[in-house]
Amino acid sequence: MSSLADSPSNVIQPHLDELETPPLSLGQLAWRRFRRHKMAIFGTVMIILIFLYCFGGMLVFSEADANFNDTSDRLQPPSREHPFGTDTIGRDIMIRTIYGGQISLIIGLTAMLVELIIGVSIGALTGYLGGWVDSVLMRMTEAVLVIPQIFLLLVMAKYFAQSIPNIEFLGRTFSGSVLVIIVVIGITSWPYLARIVRSQFLSIKENDFILAARATGTSTREIIFRHILPNSIAPIIVSATLSVAAAITLEAYISFLGLGVRPPTATWGNMLEGAYKYVQSAWWLWFFPGALIALTVLSINFLGDGLRDALDPHSRAA
Amino acid sequence: MKVKRIVWISIAALMVLSMVLSACQPAAETVVATEAESPAEAPAEEPVEEPAAEPTQPPAEKKVATLIWLEEFDTLNSLYTNMWFVTVLYPVYACQAWWFDENNEPVPSLVAEIPSLDNGGISEDGKTITLMLRDDIVWSDGTPITSADFKFTYDMTMADANTVSSRSPMDLVVSLETPDERTVVITFAEPYAPWLARLFAGQGGQTLIPEHVLKPVFDAEGTIDTAEWNKAPTVGCGPFVFEEWESGGFARFVANDNYWLGRPKIDELFFRFVPDSASQVAALVTGDGDVGTFFDYSEVPELEAAGVKIINSFSGYNEGIYFNQHPEKGNPALKDVRVRQAIALAFNREKLVQDLLLGLTGVAATDWDNSPWVEPSITPWPYDPEKAKSLLKEAGWEDTNGDGTVDKDGVELELKYGTTNREVRQDTQAVMQQDLAQVGIKLDLQSYEFDLFFSSYADNGPSANFSLDLIQYSDSPDFPDPNAVVWLCSEIPSDENPVGVSPTGLCDEELDSLFQKQATQVDFAERQQTFYQITKRIFEQVFWLGVWQDPDLFGFSDRVQNVKMSGATPFFNIAEWELTK
Amino acid sequence: MTRYIVRRLLQAIPLLFIISVVLFILMQNMGDPVATMGGRKVTRKEDRIRLERQLGLDKPILLQYVFWLVGNDWTKTDMDGDGVAETPGVRKGVLRGDWGISLVNRQPVTEVIGERLPNTLLLMITAEIVVISSALLIGIYSALHQYSVMDNTITTITFIMYSMPVFFFALLAMYIFAVNFKKWGLPYLPTVGMFEPEAGQSFGQVMWHMVLPVATLSFGFIAGYSRYIRSTMLEAMGQDYIRTARSKGLPRRQIVYLHALKNAALPIVTLVALDLPFLLGGAIVTERIFGWPGMGRLFLDHVSRSDTTVVMGILMMIAVAVILFQILADVTYAWLDPRIRYK
Repeated sequence: MSSLADSPSNVIQPHLDELETPPLSLGQLAWRRFRRHKMAIFGTVMIILIFLYCFGGMLVFSEADANFNDTSDRLQPPSREHPFGTDTIGRDIMIRTIYGGQISLIIGLTAMLVELIIGVSIGALTGYLGGWVDSVLMRMTEAVLVIPQIFLLLVMAKYFAQSIPNIEFLGRTFSGSVLVIIVVIGITSWPYLARIVRSQFLSIKENDFILAARATGTSTREIIFRHILPNSIAPIIVSATLSVAAAITLEAYISFLGLGVRPPTATWGNMLEGAYKYVQSAWWLWFFPGALIALTVLSINFLGDGLRDALDPHSRAA
Repeated sequence: MKVKRIVWISIAALMVLSMVLSACQPAAETVVATEAESPAEAPAEEPVEEPAAEPTQPPAEKKVATLIWLEEFDTLNSLYTNMWFVTVLYPVYACQAWWFDENNEPVPSLVAEIPSLDNGGISEDGKTITLMLRDDIVWSDGTPITSADFKFTYDMTMADANTVSSRSPMDLVVSLETPDERTVVITFAEPYAPWLARLFAGQGGQTLIPEHVLKPVFDAEGTIDTAEWNKAPTVGCGPFVFEEWESGGFARFVANDNYWLGRPKIDELFFRFVPDSASQVAALVTGDGDVGTFFDYSEVPELEAAGVKIINSFSGYNEGIYFNQHPEKGNPALKDVRVRQAIALAFNREKLVQDLLLGLTGVAATDWDNSPWVEPSITPWPYDPEKAKSLLKEAGWEDTNGDGTVDKDGVELELKYGTTNREVRQDTQAVMQQDLAQVGIKLDLQSYEFDLFFSSYADNGPSANFSLDLIQYSDSPDFPDPNAVVWLCSEIPSDENPVGVSPTGLCDEELDSLFQKQATQVDFAERQQTFYQITKRIFEQVFWLGVWQDPDLFGFSDRVQNVKMSGATPFFNIAEWELTK
Repeated sequence: MTRYIVRRLLQAIPLLFIISVVLFILMQNMGDPVATMGGRKVTRKEDRIRLERQLGLDKPILLQYVFWLVGNDWTKTDMDGDGVAETPGVRKGVLRGDWGISLVNRQPVTEVIGERLPNTLLLMITAEIVVISSALLIGIYSALHQYSVMDNTITTITFIMYSMPVFFFALLAMYIFAVNFKKWGLPYLPTVGMFEPEAGQSFGQVMWHMVLPVATLSFGFIAGYSRYIRSTMLEAMGQDYIRTARSKGLPRRQIVYLHALKNAALPIVTLVALDLPFLLGGAIVTERIFGWPGMGRLFLDHVSRSDTTVVMGILMMIAVAVILFQILADVTYAWLDPRIRYK
């Protein structure tokens, strides 16, 4: 009778409290989904390791070590003294992959930033404003997309290939052609991102909350940056991540074809340039830089895949 | 129903594809189709549909030499190309007045004898050269070669409607007369000392083009720029005649039965175009190829181990560094001869040649090395970094701020050093940078694509706009003639003279007058004395620093016998080559 | 639909026009075609002046573009260098079908490109067929055996393939199948050219020589497409109508191939068409490594010699092809999928 008099809520309530989990924020939800993706975790760990290798390696070996050459030591196979072997003038390949990796990674990240800024701006403008702005800018986008990227890259890399001064940055000296490559990759890659951003904007701007914002007189800039953009951030993040991998690969391609970063500044890409003459005789010349590129790109792809699952589970069916 | 649709789409796509493929074929076939009178057949371009249409297995007795070629011909008409991979083949499929043998002495080909003062071939004032042609010279189709062909070649070179690669030396010719079928009289404005190396001779001169084939084309089209014969010279005058050329793949030349010096012993020459030296070496090592050229020095040991015979043929090229001496745009530090000498002493070129080039060539002292024109006492600058440092100190350069680079009056000694992007050159740059850093000179390395590097002043080319302090590339005089124009004051590029070719911007009174003098000295002894002075001055003043001598490398399998190589006209005795097995 | 196609075609024209102007201007500042005409030596001064005049390179850029587009036979040019224009031009311009002559060897551009185009087409079409068939097989298998060991292995391998740069794959393939197979005495794959010259251009030779280049071109696409097919198949298999079909007792085969696959594979049509630019790009590196005499190598060779006419010819041809294929893709997709309608 007393048990019956107790309201059921007094008895059940604590259990319900225990059963109910605290509400999770969007970021925490995303992190949970991400954690389940084993390959993404593997990719993240690999990327961190690669960054440590490239930038941490600066503390162990100096830049002078990377450039030190002794022609009598040329083309040595991997040994205790030179774990990755030496190149055609006796430079240690392992140290060169460390310093070269810095440049390759910097190129990847910076090109992605360039692409991000241009792509998001244009995508946002065309998606939101529509009308003749949309028509003109979309024609521009199509124009860049119509020519395959490699052809454009080759033509532009040659266009900018005049006398380029050296740059001092982060305590390192390297060729200014790094900037040229970054710009060239950035301005040939933005259309892919712009298209994604545009389609996002097109679909989101029809929502009611945007209508409400417009009704209350919010400025266009505020609508774009504070309302629409945060809601479309997921595919942008995924796309930006994957474009780092694309930029690293593209740099390797142009360097391989001879128009990339000018020696003696090393990048993984230009270490492969001409190394295919030594396919048989000095496999260590192309294997290590190539494997590093593949590993980095692979890890970034895993990471991007995981991010896509975590942030935007609708985009993938299974 | 959907399945049916997919099937229809696939069929339609296939039809479109096959139409596209077949539409492309006629275009391909017209390329190899030749003029009406040529007996060469057009090989099938269809890659997939038909099996081999032409007899592909040579009969067992046919002697075919396979040459592996790194660069495909751009054209086979000497008027339109200066490409080394075509010009070295002039003795194979074309004819000139004379060739040069393995000692670079002239050997008559179309002429009965080499013109000289004694036989009246050279006039007293040195301005007129008379060529006396042989009686038995004929084109491969039997038509006799006459002086009219010489006149036609001259006319075509000079015609405004023809965009020929070079008019030299025809643009110095005042008149070309043909008093009879066997005589050609050429008159220059001034005595032209290099005539032996250039006049209807040498890789820089013209080869004969057939009037009876090309004149109709010129009359009909107004130009011979687009003549079929340029890509398919089925009527030729060399020991071998063109047979076919598959773009991107191969080319074939067969023995000329009408060759007046006797049919060659080899029946056919097969040229195989490969994209890079690695495949060339692979082909030679396995015996798939008989002849190869332009190797990297690093590939030589592998070739020799496989039994390939390497011939080093000197053709006048030497790799060296030009120092920027432009009065306004040049770095003032380089105007001091002591600084230049310090650079010469600090750069260990001997070690570079030993390690990078495997000791297979030597350090260059002048751009006329291995010729009788170099002053005998000249030997390359030795490696002496201590002397270099003391010279720099004497010139006022010391490291006052401890940053590793010497300076003077607050200016660091930092020099820009540019070259093309060939691997061995970029390696050389890195080594030189390190060597010079030992004595306190800082080098800023730049490298460019070949055509960017050599762009003209008008196009702001790096080698022409004097923005670089040191320029490195391989240069030669008009081999086998020692004439060179790059040291003349008149060749300095400027706004008034945008296409000058002087890489140093140097206007040295003494050198300028010496060079102008030698161009007119037809007497060997006098000219040699002038060149002794020239080479000594350039060497002592270090206007040009030699890095290595740059001979042409040729490789031959042991099948090929009786080969002699000339520096000026490499394949000159190809008619006498033999193939064993 | 016809109106849509016509509209797209008309829209393409100003697009092509803009592209041609921008590319032309880029090409002009890229290097000096006359610089390489000296062969191994620097071009002589007199020849430089004359060649620039004869090839029309001394005119301002815009004028050169106009001549390229509409020819110069309606005006006179100065051929003999005396400063007075007296000879009528001979070029008809692109709009009348005259693509000019190559600055490198004075051959008509259409001939130069036409020689190499079939070889690249051969490579690309074969690669495309290999890609589609392999991707379908792998994707369907993966989808049907989701999360099995095989599926996970395939997923990992496809990821690795997708991430590897093309030339690294080519180098590895060369190293294993050509160099080392030869060392071990196994029948090895050739790495250069389209056929062995002694054996001639036979079907078998070309097929054998195509193995490595096609494999190199396609592996990346196979990786990407198979994953795409896998995910769309899984999505399709999860749909209600499939469940209905299964509950009706239809054989699995019929379900998979007749129903699911058709819906899953439709987007492939458009993807194939839209991937044309990437295939062409991949062809450049592949042709360079394997010495395949195609358009990619032609492009590389002529870009490095600043041959404006040929490079413009190739680029414009590609632009037209890509635009046409895009329109084709949209039209085909609309035809196949009745849910899509264009205004």
